[in-house]
This record gives sequence, C-alpha cells and structure tokens, in this order.
Amino acid sequence: MVIAHRTCCRAMIWVAALCAAITTVQAEEPTLEHDVLPILTKHCLGCHGGLRQFGKLDMRTLPAMFAGGEGGPAIEKGNSEKSLLWKRIAADEMPEGDDREKLSPREKAVIKAWIDAGLPTVSVRQARIDPLLPADAKHDPSEVAAAIDRHVNDFLAAAKLSPAELSDDQEFLRRLYLDLTGCVPTAEQATAYLNDQDPHKRAKLIDALLASPRFGEQFGRTWRDWASPAELPSDDNAGTQPHQQANEFGQWLGKKVAAGEPWDRIAREILTVQGEFKSQPQVIFFGLAGIGGKTSADGSARAVASLFMGVQLQCAQCHDDPYRAWSQQEHWSLAAFFGRMQGDFSKIENGKGPAPAPGKIEIPSTAFKRAGTSVPASFLGGQVLTDVKDDELRPRFADWLVAKDNSYFSRAFANRLWFYFFARGIVNPIDDLRELNPPSHPGLLQLLANEFAASNYDVKHLVRCICLSQAYQRSSYLPVDVKEETRQALTIAFGRMPLRMMTADMLLDSFKLAYGEEKEFDLRSAGKDSTTGMAATVQNAYLEFRRKFSANEEDATDFTHGVSQMLTLINHPRLLAGSKTLDAQLKSKPETTPEEAIDWLYLSTLSRRPTAQETAESLAFVKQSQDSQTGYRGLLWTLVNRSEFILIR
Amino acid sequence: MEANSNKLPRRDYLKLVAAGVLSGVSVPWFERFATAAVQKSRGKACILLWMDGGPSQQHTFDPKPNGEFKSASTTVPGIQIVEQLPQLAACMDDMAIVRSMTTEINGHYDAKYFLHTGYKRNTAFEHPAIGCIASSQIGLARHDMPAFVTIDAGFDRDDGGRLYRSVPAYLGAEHAPLAVHEPTQGLENLAPTGDDLAARLQLLAASERRFAERYPQPAVNTKQAAFDRAVTLMQSKRSKAFRLDEEPQKLRDAYGTHKFGQSCLLARRLVEAGVMFVEVVHRGWDDHNGAAKPISARAPWMDAGLATLIRDLKQRGMLDDTLVVWMGEFGRTPGDGNGHFCRAWSSVFAGGGLKTGQAIGKTSETGKNPGNDIVDRPVTAPDFMATLCLALGIDTHREFLAPGLRPMPLVEKTAKPIKELLG
Repeated sequence: MVIAHRTCCRAMIWVAALCAAITTVQAEEPTLEHDVLPILTKHCLGCHGGLRQFGKLDMRTLPAMFAGGEGGPAIEKGNSEKSLLWKRIAADEMPEGDDREKLSPREKAVIKAWIDAGLPTVSVRQARIDPLLPADAKHDPSEVAAAIDRHVNDFLAAAKLSPAELSDDQEFLRRLYLDLTGCVPTAEQATAYLNDQDPHKRAKLIDALLASPRFGEQFGRTWRDWASPAELPSDDNAGTQPHQQANEFGQWLGKKVAAGEPWDRIAREILTVQGEFKSQPQVIFFGLAGIGGKTSADGSARAVASLFMGVQLQCAQCHDDPYRAWSQQEHWSLAAFFGRMQGDFSKIENGKGPAPAPGKIEIPSTAFKRAGTSVPASFLGGQVLTDVKDDELRPRFADWLVAKDNSYFSRAFANRLWFYFFARGIVNPIDDLRELNPPSHPGLLQLLANEFAASNYDVKHLVRCICLSQAYQRSSYLPVDVKEETRQALTIAFGRMPLRMMTADMLLDSFKLAYGEEKEFDLRSAGKDSTTGMAATVQNAYLEFRRKFSANEEDATDFTHGVSQMLTLINHPRLLAGSKTLDAQLKSKPETTPEEAIDWLYLSTLSRRPTAQETAESLAFVKQSQDSQTGYRGLLWTLVNRSEFILIR
Repeated sequence: MEANSNKLPRRDYLKLVAAGVLSGVSVPWFERFATAAVQKSRGKACILLWMDGGPSQQHTFDPKPNGEFKSASTTVPGIQIVEQLPQLAACMDDMAIVRSMTTEINGHYDAKYFLHTGYKRNTAFEHPAIGCIASSQIGLARHDMPAFVTIDAGFDRDDGGRLYRSVPAYLGAEHAPLAVHEPTQGLENLAPTGDDLAARLQLLAASERRFAERYPQPAVNTKQAAFDRAVTLMQSKRSKAFRLDEEPQKLRDAYGTHKFGQSCLLARRLVEAGVMFVEVVHRGWDDHNGAAKPISARAPWMDAGLATLIRDLKQRGMLDDTLVVWMGEFGRTPGDGNGHFCRAWSSVFAGGGLKTGQAIGKTSETGKNPGNDIVDRPVTAPDFMATLCLALGIDTHREFLAPGLRPMPLVEKTAKPIKELLG
C-alpha cells in the first residue's frame, strides 16, 4: 500500500515520532494509544470495529475488548497467555485467511508486552495531569505564557531534546505580523520595531497588533477558510457558489473578535441564527455545510462537531466509525438539533426542516446502514432531549455547547488556535479529540482550555498568552548538524517553530504592500471579473488567486505550489514592474542612495535589513542593470521569489 | 539554481516514515480484488476530449432509425454513426464506440465527478481525477514537461453546471494539472518578462543556496524544486510544444479553426513533447432546447478536430501509444435530447493500441423510445475508469490512504474492465 494522504501521514508520523519521544520517558511499557491501537487499526478493526463486528467482537476500546465477543473476553489484564487476542494472533489464526498479512514479530511482541504490563493507557496516566494554574480564574497573560513554557519545556526535557534558540527580532517581527495581521510589516514599521530599545517591545507589538482591525480581518479570513469547503458542489442552484457570502461571514466574524466579543457569544450567534443573510452573514455557515445550496441536518452536525467541538463525525454519517467509538446514533442525535431548520444561501428558517418532529430525525436512505431509523436529539455522550419546540432546539444545543463544564468547546478552540500558530495541534487531527487519541501535551491543552473558559472565552487573551510564550517565540533555525529525526521530534514537541507557508491572502496582501499597488492587487473588491480561467462560472479574480495560491489547510509546513504558481511568480509582468511606493520615494527624495533603496526593498519584503554580503550582491546587480530603476525592479523580483519570502520563519 | 536532487521531497519522506508504521501491503478489511484480466507494463499517453454538459448519443455515435439525424455507414461494416460526422466515419477502423455507458447520476457536477474519478462524490474527502492519477502513475520523472495539462476549448453556451476541476487529492499537490486557458496563446506566463532574467536568476540563486543551507527542510526543497522545474520548462526546447504557430497552416486548418480543433492540435504537440495526459474541455453540450440544432452546428468542427487528431497521430506513428477518449458526463434523453440521460449513453475510444473498429454494447432500437435501454454489455463508471487505466498501463489495484485512514484503490474493486477493448 502506498501511503499518500498528508493528514494520515501526519497522524502516522505523530504516532511514530511521539512514541519515540515518549518512549524515552517511559520506555518500559507500550500503551494502548501509542503502540497498540495503530496495530489494531491496521490488522483488526476492519472486521472487529464500527463497520463490522465479526464474532460479535468490537475492539475499538478497552471496555469493548473486555466485553469480548462470542468467544468471550478478548483480553485478560496482565496475562497474555489467557488472552484470546494474544492466542489468536500468536497462532497466526488472526487476521483470518491465508492471503492476509499476519502480525510481524515486533507487532506481536508489542501486544504481548502490553497485555502483560496490565494494559497501560495514556489516558489513565493523563488523568493525573496538572495544568499548573488553577482553573477557576483568569490569569495575567505573562503568567499563562510561563505555564505554557513549563509544559513545553518539561516535555522537551523528558524527551531529552534541546529546543531551538529564541527567535531574533526580525524573525519574530515578521512572524507576528503575518500571524496576527495576515501581512508583512511596512519598511517603516519594521525599522521602528528593529530600532526600538524597549526590553518589552515584543509584548508591546503583540498588544498593538491585537488592537488593530487587521487582527480581526485575518482571524475572520482564517475562520472563513475553515468553515468553507474548497468548492461547494451544487447542481441544484446552477453551480452558484456562495463565496461572496463566505467572505462577508469572515468579515462579520472578524469584526466581532476585533471588538472583543467573547467566543461563546459568537458561536451562539452562529448556531442559533435565523432570518436573512442580508442582516446576519452568519446565515451562510449552514449553507456552507449543506449540500446543493440547501442546509442539511447532518452537514450542520458535522461542521459544528468539527469546528466547535473538535470531533470528527463524518464516518458515522453512514455507519458506525470503524476506528473511533463514535456511533451512527451519536452523529444523527446531534444532527437532530438541526433537523427542523431549513435554509439556503440567503436565509434560515425554523420549523421547516425535514425532521418529522422537533428533536427527532430519521436516518435518510443515502446512509447505507440503519436507513429509516428514527433518532432523538441528544447531546454527545449525554442525555436525550425530550419535549422541545422548534425554536428551542438550537438554543438548547448552544447552551450545552458553551457551558463552562463542557470541555469540548474550550478544548476545541484552544487546540485549533495552537494549530494556527504551530502548524500542528496538541491533538491531531485537530478535530479528533477523543479519549483514545490523547493530546501530546495534556497539561498544556488543559491549561489553555481552562484559561479560555475562565476568561469568558476571550479570544485575544488566549492569543496574547500564546504569543508571549517562548514556545511561540522560538526560532525556526536549527544548527545544520541537527538530524532530520530530531528536527521532526522538535517540531512535534513544540521545541522549534517550523517553516510555514503563507496563505494566499497573506501572499496577496504582502505583494500589495511591497509593490505599493492598491489597484492591481485589490482582488477582494466585488466586480473583479476573471480574465482567464477554465470556468465561466468562476466569477472572480480573488477566488482564482486563492484557488491558485492556496496552502494546505491541514498542514502549513507542506509546500503546495508547483510549476503553475512558480511561472506566475517568475513571469507575471506586475511582479517585475517595481514598487510604486519606492518609486514615489525616489522621486520625492532624489538624494536616496542605492544602499537606502536596497534596505527599503529588503525591509518591505523580508522585514529585515540585508546582510553585508547581500548589500554587496544587490549593489553589483543594480550597477550592471541598464539603469537603477530596472535594477530595483529586478531586485524586488528576486526578493519576492525567494523561499524566505513565501515561507514564514 | 541547484536542484536538491540528493534530498527527498517532503512528501516522499513522509511516505517513508508513514510506511514504517503502516508497513503492510495487504489491507485485511477489504478483500483483495481479483487480478484484472489485462495488465500492461508500459504507460501510454492519453488525450481526453471532455464534452461538458452531456452530449447526445443519438445525435452523434448511436443514431436511431427515425431519429432526428440520419445514420451513415462507416469504414467498418455494420457500424453506423450520424451522417453529420463524415470524417469520423472514415476513421472508424481506429475507433471503438462504447454505446452502453450506464452511470446512475443525472446531475451535472456529481456525474462529472463520477466519470473523472470513478467514484461517487462524498462529503468526507475528494478522490483524485484521472489526469492526476495518470500523472502520479505514468508521469515521466524529472521530465522538463508537465505530466498533466488541461486545455480550455471554450464554450458555446454558459450552462451545464459547475465545472469540474481535476484535483490530485491524496496523490499529492504535484500532480495538479497545468492549465492552458487559450489554446492559441499557449501557456500563461511561460515566456520570460524583461530581458535581464539571467542576471536576476543568478542573484536569486546565490541567496537561495544560502537559505537552503541554513534551512535544510522539506518545504524549502520543494519550493526550490518547483521553481527549478518552472525555469527548466521556460528554457526547455520542448516547451515550444505550447506554441501552435509552429504548425503548418495547412494542418492547423485541417484541425479546424474552432478552438476545439486547435486544442486537439495542441494536445498532440504536448503528447509528442512528453506530456502524459491532456484533457481538452469544451463546454456547452447541455442542450435543453433540443440537441439537433446545436449539434448540427458543432458537428463540423468536432468531426474535423477529432478525425484530424486521429489521422495526424497515426501518420506520426503515435496512435498506438496515444489513447484518445471522447465523452461527457452523461448522454441525453432519447428523441430530441432535451434532458439529461445517464441510463444508456456513448463514449468513444481511439488508438492507444486498443482493439478498435468495433462498437461495444447496444441500446434498444425499437419500442416507444429507441435508445432508452441497454440491451447488451452495460459499462459503469468504474468499469470505464478501469478500462482507461489499464489501457494506459496503470495498476488499478494500487491503494492510497484517503482521509480517515481509508485505503482507496485507484479504481473501485468492483470494476470490470472492458476486455473486448483491451484485447
């Protein structure tokens, strides 16, 4: 089998490398989550999981293995010789059939050692986690940052990893500007920061950027992208795509966050929305999660679960999840909350949905198991909702979701936010929070979730805490002799910042800034028609740009651009036409020296001054150009074509 | 600029690491699917001519008695196509018509998805398109030409649902297509801007080398490799293949002045230069007001484009190694062709070393609606995809991991390739 999908690779790498890191800590015994489940997933769960349960045996969880199947319990604690699981795999009776690959000696040894060690699990160990700060109060951001660092540093020490150095000012400046405002700083902003002698200038900059409206814009665009599928398949509405509505939703969300509105209130406004899109852009959230231009109960449930609860329910739409202990019942009982609303790209109405009665839903015929079964609304892993009116369904769900004792809500947000900054979550995949997929840093996740809840879901507070931490402020540079395995381990342990790729929006805004070109790079304004493009239905240039230059949403360290994007960067005439800002400056200040112009170009693109070598090379390049204007244009071209430009250090 | 040939690209590295964890070849919970009847070792190139919107079968390759279009004989005794396609009738020896496509989906987008990927669309993840599959499986490694190119041949009505875009999904971003938006203008941004490119590249190379030394990381390697491939393409003699003006005017005229014919010609040039898969998309076949009139208008350029392509490939000795496919996402309702019709419709294969000169499958000739039903040899979308893949020498068994740890074979395991075609 060829392993190709990145998410899976990440998941697998996570298992592999984290095991490596953790086994150095607790080398003596294998654990269910890190060592045993990958083996069971590969060999056993296909026939003894959510999809099929041959011999009435389900091996997805420890209790299920104890319960066993027709042959009795699958495992006996501390005694492999008496465990059916061990007997069957040791004799190569399982997996059944001559053509099936049997377990390797190493895999067998892991299973045996695990049973004999008394079935250790990470979750039991992690039950004793200490978030380091009390859960019931909001703390000073620097205090939280220090606690974040203790968690991260303890992990690094236990894994015997030495972290990267703290970033230098240039690295930090550019990273923070891109993360918090979605754009590189101007040359003037960069100069001001680099020249500032204040020892607290990092904290000052974090505060300043959090206070700017651009923070909201960037946050809104990020959530727009998370809430939007790449393309919304829809034949029923002649291929209309609600991209403009999604943009407005992002702007709406961004403004709320910029104004300091708490996350629970925003989530509630999204989840309970009814009425017209015109006055409430969050209406489109359900349209984006729907199908064929219409909202759908199970699409809504999936999106809400993934984005607000950090839980993946997509497999359980049609059948019990083969690998996770989510049942189809749980998926549809969540969908039942959205079964009585109906809407499209322009409105949401209550009491019109496909569900037969409020709080009940029927599994549709498109699911290939249990179609037609009626399922009542109930909270995930919680009680069934009875006697509920149409208008109460979603508000009751929102009450449950944002309650302070519902850890799904705060953990999902904290994990997603951490993922945004570090290109990987504390739990991965970021929407797969469950007992058997434990966090790499359980105390850290608990700390962030507690702090988020205690601050009344203050988004900026949590951002500030993370950005103040040394973990966020570490360099992406590692000495060249550090081995690739160690680099990977450090990335997973948050002991260095990985190089991340700019998103399409970051690239667009950073171009706009460096080139001083408002008009040609202003793709976001409505009414920009596509000049090229295979589809007449593409509609706009902004969309085309985003489609072309999009990064991998699941992994920002994955470089996704190929020849097509490179040809644009190399040969698009505008990228060789120079910076209007610099041109104006040279005109108003003819005495500007070539060195000053070169400094300006470096600061506007890479947010740093050139090294002596770079200055010398640039001067030589400008000198051999037919005139200095051409030289500066060419230099700007080389700067935006650098790896250092598109990769965030 | 130096290519980082000694460093594995990130994705390959990931594959290796991941393979260490999930190292098995067999996937126990899916039955190993029976070895397909035909396996070819060598990859062949493919030109897919996509008639977006759903072309009417009875107005093209499956004419009916008393239909709106009259039938005409072809060079193969017993096989008739509509009289509007005389040049193709003369090429019938090199063509095989599949008249029994049956694909269950009557909505444009989902049907396009189904026929491009061999899988029904779901909400959990996307499947790779055939062009991306070809790129990943038979694309030439380290070749200066891209493996997969799409060409927009324009449209004559702005209809037919949302356009399908080929995505590589879990095969990796490097298998995404390179798109030509206007065949007569070649590839966008291929020609250098400014006359100081060499000096700029030199300046850039120095700083890039230093950066790669300082950050020996997969993202940097991948970025620099993509950049190098773009520059190589710009400077390659082969990239002239994107320029139609190098072709003799007489041949360009023979292909037809319509964008479709010019796209066919461009496709041939690209395959000649090493591209393995070209998809030409012509939009506007969603003929809801009757297919007769619009297809009468399209027939001359379609006839000229496809027939000239077949003859031209043959003349150059390329036909056996180049598979040409003509199709849409479904056919149209019997009679006037007003509606979508997925129950029984036609696609066409040419060249590719297949057993041509035959018609596979049959639709009903009589009854209330002649052509309404398949009377012989139904071909489903997975069957079709398996046939296409095997004809190109692609191992349809190979499995890739889709999100959610789902092992997905390149072609659905239930697929039954058309053995009559593969020989």
